[in-house]
Amino acid sequence: MTALLEYAIVGGLLYGIFFGLVAVGLNLIFGVMRIINLAHGEFVVLGGFGAYWLTSAFGLNPLWGVPLAALGAVVIGFPLYYAIVPRLQRSRDPEMLSFILFFGLAQVIEALVTLGFGPDQRTLPSDALGSGSPSVFGQAFPESWWWAAGISVVAIVGLWLYLTRTRLGFATRAIMANRDEALATGISVDRVSSIAFIIGLALAGAAGVFVPYLQGSVAPGIGNDLTTTSFAILIIGSLGNPIGTLLGGLVFGVGSMLMQTFYASWSNLVPYVLLVAIVLIRPQGLFGKSVRHA
Amino acid sequence: MTFKGSRLTAASAAFALAAAIGTTGASAQTAPSVIKIGTLYAGSGEFAVSSQAQYDGLKFWAKKVNKDGGVFVKAYNKKIPVKIVAYDDQSSTSTATTLYNQLITQDHVDLLVADFGSVLTSVAVPLAKEHNQLLVDVTGSSAGFFSNDNKYLVDLSIPSSGVWPIPLAKHLIKQGVKKVAIVYGSNDFDSSQADTLKSELKKAGITPVYDHAVPTNETNYTVLLHAAAATKPQAMVELGYMSNDVAFLKSLKSSGLHFPMVFTIFPGQFKALMEKNAGKDALAYTYSYPAPPMIKYEQVSLGLNTDQFIKAWEADGHKSAPNFVNTAGYSTGILLAKALSTAPDMKQLTIRSTLEGFSGNTSTLVGPFALSQTGAQMGERLPVAQFQPQKDGSLKTVVVYPDAMATGKAIYPAPQG
Repeated sequence: MTALLEYAIVGGLLYGIFFGLVAVGLNLIFGVMRIINLAHGEFVVLGGFGAYWLTSAFGLNPLWGVPLAALGAVVIGFPLYYAIVPRLQRSRDPEMLSFILFFGLAQVIEALVTLGFGPDQRTLPSDALGSGSPSVFGQAFPESWWWAAGISVVAIVGLWLYLTRTRLGFATRAIMANRDEALATGISVDRVSSIAFIIGLALAGAAGVFVPYLQGSVAPGIGNDLTTTSFAILIIGSLGNPIGTLLGGLVFGVGSMLMQTFYASWSNLVPYVLLVAIVLIRPQGLFGKSVRHA
Repeated sequence: MTFKGSRLTAASAAFALAAAIGTTGASAQTAPSVIKIGTLYAGSGEFAVSSQAQYDGLKFWAKKVNKDGGVFVKAYNKKIPVKIVAYDDQSSTSTATTLYNQLITQDHVDLLVADFGSVLTSVAVPLAKEHNQLLVDVTGSSAGFFSNDNKYLVDLSIPSSGVWPIPLAKHLIKQGVKKVAIVYGSNDFDSSQADTLKSELKKAGITPVYDHAVPTNETNYTVLLHAAAATKPQAMVELGYMSNDVAFLKSLKSSGLHFPMVFTIFPGQFKALMEKNAGKDALAYTYSYPAPPMIKYEQVSLGLNTDQFIKAWEADGHKSAPNFVNTAGYSTGILLAKALSTAPDMKQLTIRSTLEGFSGNTSTLVGPFALSQTGAQMGERLPVAQFQPQKDGSLKTVVVYPDAMATGKAIYPAPQG
């Protein structure tokens, strides 16, 4: 029983760190632009299919999918931002409009991925990220899980450093605090926001590279589930704080793995039960400092 | 013959002729220009691959029939082309509910064919019953669908999932396996199989050492596998849909865990696809239920046999070889065609009773057709097979149970590595 508990906790930590990366891009985009990117999961899926394409067409290691995700985010994100976001910001209710608009975008992306790759699941070679099973506290997990957790930590800490140590990061946080005041102080809101949008998409795409390993496979239809789980993690952690998202992911990961070990059929409920509990008890999120007004 | 008598005879003949003409005229007038077959398919989502395969099989049959001028409908005494009215349910049960309703109440289809699998069939069962519309079940095999108080359901092309695991249980017992771990999806299809498996094992005094249901959309099996391995099972049985099987086999491969025997459902139906998506190494030495065309039926009383179907499928321009669900879609079509050519009218329950009349005396490329009183399919049984690696790197499907169908012996325990 103790061994199972330890395994579930270590597994939950690795799984949760990875889901921190899955959700952090959504947090950034919502925090900066106050728009709800319902296509977030589809961008994660695009990252997964990007890695699959690199592996199957060119025989490259799937890790090349991470820089490809960054490149793809620039190519897709920049025009997408200027085509959509400034218009949304001028509307009376950007949050609600973004909800509808990105829902449509999610359907378009899913259809395009299905057309391009077919509707079935795709996997990546099991040993591409190493065939061993390193262990911590005697609990062995596939190397791919460690890679996913490692890259996730690097990406989230990198984002935190960007937000807290760079001029663009300061400007981003200023927009998160108050968009109008940021504009009044001379910050190029659209430029800074577009960079945040691209970073958000890049993080989603990078997370997608590891989806085939942690979720067994990647398929065009899984985006919606990923978006929903990301929202739950984002609420559990706190809006606008990447470290909060990481911790929200940990709570989700450990909770899911414990449930899976002892009450497997109920494991899908974990994110939603946590979400409801957090909204009722601590609406600013576990790691938020003040009450959220969003 | 008197004049009066001949007048009476002539009048009677005229009346009979007029009545005959009238009847023929009425038939011609009421015969529809097409027989509408309503169905759903999943263009996306977790059931997309299987669902589209089933739809392709049905379309293949319709195309073939329409090339010959349509299906002969006894109720109208003429050949009528078939038109498939199909909508995309995106693997969503809520969307499927709306669309099934549309097929029944708006499109007024003559025959309603369910989408793939128990999950997408489940929402159609009460709806069809409520509207007194016969639901033609193709691959929704959940035993829970069928009951004596529902005459508006008939399963044509897949055995009831309640009977699927009987050969598997018998094979496990014959193999001397005492410790069995079972992970199954919490849906009708998988849980009814798990129930049967446990019940059959219990008869031999075997209680599973690990028995857990997981959500139907479960894709992360690493921790579950570890928990199951802690019970040291001699056989690991995973009962899920294809997306579960791929994720399970990949997780098992990357976990470094090893079980003497591993069983999953869908490699037996989609071997080529599973080899591509899960990998041959993940499938090596695992077991499954091999389904047609992986197992062949040469003697059939209705439609094409397995080899003829494969040839016709390829000639029809399909890029990949046919799989089980393609054959199930086609088999459903030919059984419906026979029912239409035999049923005296187009009433839904007449069609069902006509189909019941074929039970026990008909066989198709998916096996002998046998219906229970509740409309569940009790023929078309699936054996147990193992995928054994060959020197050339391919995986050979070796049927290991029952003995009458066996093509080789099981390699048990499976070698490690």
